[in-house]
Amino acid sequence: MSNRTLTLMMGFVAVLILAVGVVFVVVLASSGGDDSSGATDDKPTPTRKTAGGICGGNVLIIPGDEPNTVLDPIQVGDVSTAEYVAEIFGGLVTLDLQLNVKPDIAEKWDISPDGKTYTFHLRQDVVFHNGRRVTADDFKYSLERAADPANASLQVLPYLGGIVGVKERFANKATEVKGVRVIDEKTLQIELEEPEDFFLAELTYPVAYVVDKEQIKTSPRNWTQKPNGTGPFRVAEFKAAERIRLVRNDRYHLGVAKVDEVIFELGGGSVSTRFENDEIHVAGVPLLQLDAVKAGNSPLSQFYKPQPEMSLSYIAFNVKQAPFDDPKVRQAFAMAVDYKNINENLFFNALRVADGVLPPEMPGYKESIAGYKYDPVKAKQLIAESKYAGKMPAITLKYSGAAGGGGDLLEALQADWQDVLGVTVDLQGIDPSAYLRERKKKTFQVLADGWIADYPDPENFIGKLFSGSSDLNVLNYANPDVDRLLDQARSERDRTKRLAMYNDAEQKILDDAVVIPQFWGVAHYLVKDCVKNWPSAPIPIPKYRYVEIDTTKK
Amino acid sequence: MGPGLLAYTIRRVLWAIPVLFAISIIVFWVLRLAPGDPVDSLMGTRYNDETAAAVRKKYGYDEPVYIQYVKYMQNLSHGDLGVSTRHQGFTVSEVIWPKIKVSSQLGAMALVITFALGIPIGVYAALARGTFLDPLTISFWLALDAVPAFVVIPIAQYYLAVKMGWVGLGWEGVWSPNAILPVVIMSLPGVAGVARFMRASVISVMAEDYVRTARAKGLRERTIVITHITRNALLPMITVIGLSLPGITAGALFTEQYFGIPGIARESLAAVTAPDFDVVLALVLFGSTLFVIANIVIDVSYAIIDPRVRVGTRRG
Repeated sequence: MSNRTLTLMMGFVAVLILAVGVVFVVVLASSGGDDSSGATDDKPTPTRKTAGGICGGNVLIIPGDEPNTVLDPIQVGDVSTAEYVAEIFGGLVTLDLQLNVKPDIAEKWDISPDGKTYTFHLRQDVVFHNGRRVTADDFKYSLERAADPANASLQVLPYLGGIVGVKERFANKATEVKGVRVIDEKTLQIELEEPEDFFLAELTYPVAYVVDKEQIKTSPRNWTQKPNGTGPFRVAEFKAAERIRLVRNDRYHLGVAKVDEVIFELGGGSVSTRFENDEIHVAGVPLLQLDAVKAGNSPLSQFYKPQPEMSLSYIAFNVKQAPFDDPKVRQAFAMAVDYKNINENLFFNALRVADGVLPPEMPGYKESIAGYKYDPVKAKQLIAESKYAGKMPAITLKYSGAAGGGGDLLEALQADWQDVLGVTVDLQGIDPSAYLRERKKKTFQVLADGWIADYPDPENFIGKLFSGSSDLNVLNYANPDVDRLLDQARSERDRTKRLAMYNDAEQKILDDAVVIPQFWGVAHYLVKDCVKNWPSAPIPIPKYRYVEIDTTKK
Repeated sequence: MGPGLLAYTIRRVLWAIPVLFAISIIVFWVLRLAPGDPVDSLMGTRYNDETAAAVRKKYGYDEPVYIQYVKYMQNLSHGDLGVSTRHQGFTVSEVIWPKIKVSSQLGAMALVITFALGIPIGVYAALARGTFLDPLTISFWLALDAVPAFVVIPIAQYYLAVKMGWVGLGWEGVWSPNAILPVVIMSLPGVAGVARFMRASVISVMAEDYVRTARAKGLRERTIVITHITRNALLPMITVIGLSLPGITAGALFTEQYFGIPGIARESLAAVTAPDFDVVLALVLFGSTLFVIANIVIDVSYAIIDPRVRVGTRRG
């Protein structure tokens, strides 16, 4: 090696050392300058817990989605934010893990014989996190705040629109909500326009939770950083896009949480790698990575826990657009697809093939209800009998481009329709907002769509999606028989009869083939062995107070 | 700074104002012409007209676009960037500044590493021209540049964190050891570009007469390389460095995604798809302001170094 080359190499090494040095100095010089913005109390959070690893402490560390809204119950519209709000706040009633309506702040309630007036008797021992006792006035304030048009809550009309005076208040035609009356400090009366048997279920949704008016008055802009709720946990730290840290509420009236804290890590990142690296207790697994996790030799397979969700994906037909205005075409499309086969070959049998609309977790689910079974011969015959036989118009199936993993499934459907029916369907992915516009204007022919239940009542599925008078029915579908059943069911007081009416309606809807049910939702999780009582609730309910961390396990 | 230079600077700054105004108007209108509607996105599949009307009123979207624009500019003059619709209840400032801060800190560190490596490597490659070490060095860094981040990151995460246990993967702030891996991954792909630019610059300087003179004088090789070659070869780097400065605030999408970093790249993508009018507008204005400033700084520093630039513009 020549002398010159040697000098060059030494120079190179020297510069490298210098470069590393520069970086090091920059890092050191500016460290400590990280002012933690956002609300923090107690100490800053050490994420890697004590010597025993994450299973050695009494803190549950799980990934969470970044909340889409501030932690204000009346602004919450998405499942991920509702998860936090359900732990921090409470309402008159709540849901247990089996999704039964249970007393929360209301101890008991009376319903008037006509089913329109609910009288709630409040518990006397319920306090906000700051120690102030909750009274009927707080509920009146909270419900009226929800209906205030200036707050533009997205949820108040869908959930509480049945209360006398809510619509007027929201339209700014009244200054208060007439139907919510304070009888005395511990008695609240709510009057409905029409009897609704599912009203209590609606009250379990965040929009009906109680908030602290004093806190909102003193800091109207920032109270959601550390909201003063009544739930099993209170917010200790909320750093947007980083972390939400909830600390146990030691005065919680329905049973104090077993863990000290729940830390939601909002960054996302490579969660299954982080799970493997003992940084988090639980990790969600995307459908497309499922094969890697479920394979028997994967070290992660032992931690796999599927969790049913109260949701349904379906193919939605616009029954006023050709060719789907002909029921025979819709039926043929439904019969031409073999979902069992798709589940097996594309999704490792990890999904639940839906043969009806209502998911099995939903009250009123009836196994005997079923849509059209896979029957390629009959399907072909139906197409031949339809009024579009031989002159099938061009068909475009639209889907929201953001729906990840939909690609394979929709291509499988496309292939089935082509092979079995000889009908060509174009697939068109459009961006989410354009997709929503298609739905709203009802300009589509056929959509890949889905629905997640908000509360456990078939009204939320069958009534909202298929009633001719519902805002949320995008199918142009109106069957007088179905509408009559749904109208009756809305006000029927006998629960058994009511659920039977929804069953009848569901069967008629399936017979009309306005949707092809595909799969009931399943979420896929990895859960560490030390996490006991991991709640598998299909919708957001207060649930982390049940969790225990078994320090004897890893 | 002489009077001519000062006037030149002021003129450049004044020109920036109409440019930024034009950008704000175009973006404001284009956002509202695009098919996406923030209120539709917000309401999702649970759409109803009464609620949509209340939401539009709350955000002022029920008014004509020019009135919305005037109100926006009025608020902007008070430093109010508006409110986010994607993050209900948050102001734009609350949404973007913390994230821009994180991205900028990581980006600045990555940029320092990129240039601290790229410049000496470029000099080295130029000096080693004619030997196998020149192409070897450059190809090595080009290879790092060529592998996409979404390939490098999962592999690096698995081996360095799970197998070796050297770093954690959770986000614990810019100054935690967990930030080293993302910074390194952000910095390495840029090295090849800087090195190649520097190499070309050094080679052209090496052919200059003054370098030959220095050699003829019998100066030590080290003195020639450092004071005569490298210093002069660094001059064109001003543009490269200057133009990469605004970029550090933009964040790195894949790195943020895989490491769970609360950075601005992910937010930008989500804001555009939502769409979140005020957030997108604020980000565009912020980015273009930085870009305009960077350009002014570059031009002014050239004017300082080379007076011919100043004179030329004054005539034109």
